[in-house]
Amino acid sequence: MNYDKILDVRGLSCPMPIVKARQEVNTLQPGQVLKVLSTDRGSVKDFQGWAQAAKNVELLAQETEQLDGREVYVHYVKRVS
Amino acid sequence: MATLFTLQTEWTAQELKARLDREESFFILDVRNREEVQAWRIEGRRPIPTHNVPYFEILEQGGADDVVESVKAYAQRELAQVLPKDRPILVVCAKGGTSALVAEGLRALGYQAVNLVGGTLAWGNFYEVKTVVEDAALSIYQISRPARGCLSYVIASGGEAAIVDPLRHTEHYLRLAKEKNLNIRLILDTHAHADHISGGAGLSKQLGVPYFMHPYDGIHPLDLLPPRVSYQPLWDGQRFGVGTATIETIHIPGHTLGNVVYLVNGRFLLSGDSIFIESIARPDLGGRGEAWAPIHYHSLRKLLSLPDETVILPGHFSSLGEANAEGIFAKSLGELKRQNEGLQMAQRTEEEEFVRYILSSLPLFPPQYVDIKRVNAGLLIPDEEKASELELGKNICALAQAYK
Repeated sequence: MNYDKILDVRGLSCPMPIVKARQEVNTLQPGQVLKVLSTDRGSVKDFQGWAQAAKNVELLAQETEQLDGREVYVHYVKRVS
Repeated sequence: MATLFTLQTEWTAQELKARLDREESFFILDVRNREEVQAWRIEGRRPIPTHNVPYFEILEQGGADDVVESVKAYAQRELAQVLPKDRPILVVCAKGGTSALVAEGLRALGYQAVNLVGGTLAWGNFYEVKTVVEDAALSIYQISRPARGCLSYVIASGGEAAIVDPLRHTEHYLRLAKEKNLNIRLILDTHAHADHISGGAGLSKQLGVPYFMHPYDGIHPLDLLPPRVSYQPLWDGQRFGVGTATIETIHIPGHTLGNVVYLVNGRFLLSGDSIFIESIARPDLGGRGEAWAPIHYHSLRKLLSLPDETVILPGHFSSLGEANAEGIFAKSLGELKRQNEGLQMAQRTEEEEFVRYILSSLPLFPPQYVDIKRVNAGLLIPDEEKASELELGKNICALAQAYK
């Protein structure tokens, strides 16, 4: 998956992954994609809900990776307008 | 000017439980996502007025970069008609971090908002000990996990103790044993549990005391694989001595094939998953409801032949309202015969009608119950996060009428 910017919120717990992702998305141009790395398992459902609630955001994909021996939840968020 | 009191900003799970027991009036603002709230919410003896709005909607609609500022903007616009000003508002999220910020924003607007420390995770892992009886000859302690509706027991006499159906967080039993100066001699499970992870095998290993379970429950009913935990087989009629107290095993297959109950001194029946206060156990969690329902019927009839004075101490409850004024879940068999619909069906109907009744009263089968049984058989070893996730929510071990 292509992306334009990466946001690393590993180690941060709720609500910070969404708070920081909102701020970062607002720095993107419409059409650009933010890749978010989080270790908070709850972020998987929360990013889905946030993308539905936010008018200018689309959740393109989510995946789980092993990074530095930890489960990392990756979210690809596109600014749509 | 000095204030006379400090405004309370948070409640622990323990404080929440005490307020639920006293039926205090408060409001809940739950900021978890809707699916999570639908699956499991905080419940009292009676329904608590609750409003759910996911925190990310508050952030998005509040619009500010700062969380507290977003909360203020959102609450002024959207929650003015929803939130009461005359009583506490308990703000709840999954782990207690987000709800602390939401409560802070609401307090700035003049609401009596408090945060639930540790969120629903802490509430789900909260344990409480109640004394059913306590004297030199026999003490029985009921250890509950209120959010999940799970009950377990410590039976003590003459400085010795048996633990029945210990739950996963075994430190609570060890602390009680230390406080009461008890030597734990044995661990008993009424059956292989599907709704929660047993602390039995772990405690047994840690303390070097035997762990008993009926061998029919050693085998996972769907995988048909032998267990990887070690236990001692238990049989119908087997007796255990704890101090001067006697524990008698009665095999009552139905909820599981190896389901047993323990009769203490002929008077207290630790009924596990058979007779509950409001309902009876379901027969289908092993995946064989139609075959096991008739067996369940005859087992319940066997228990109905015990004296009416027998005190039923169940393995679960569905609502805090089932507790007596002291918060203990216990009722005589005679009382239950008058109020418990499932038990009345077992008493009054023929086998065929009972089977029809029970198979038409089954609530949904939580899919995680298959894995929980695997954990209890040692076939699956979860980490803490996975264990917590498997155990999320209230048990669904009774018939559907218990969850009305």
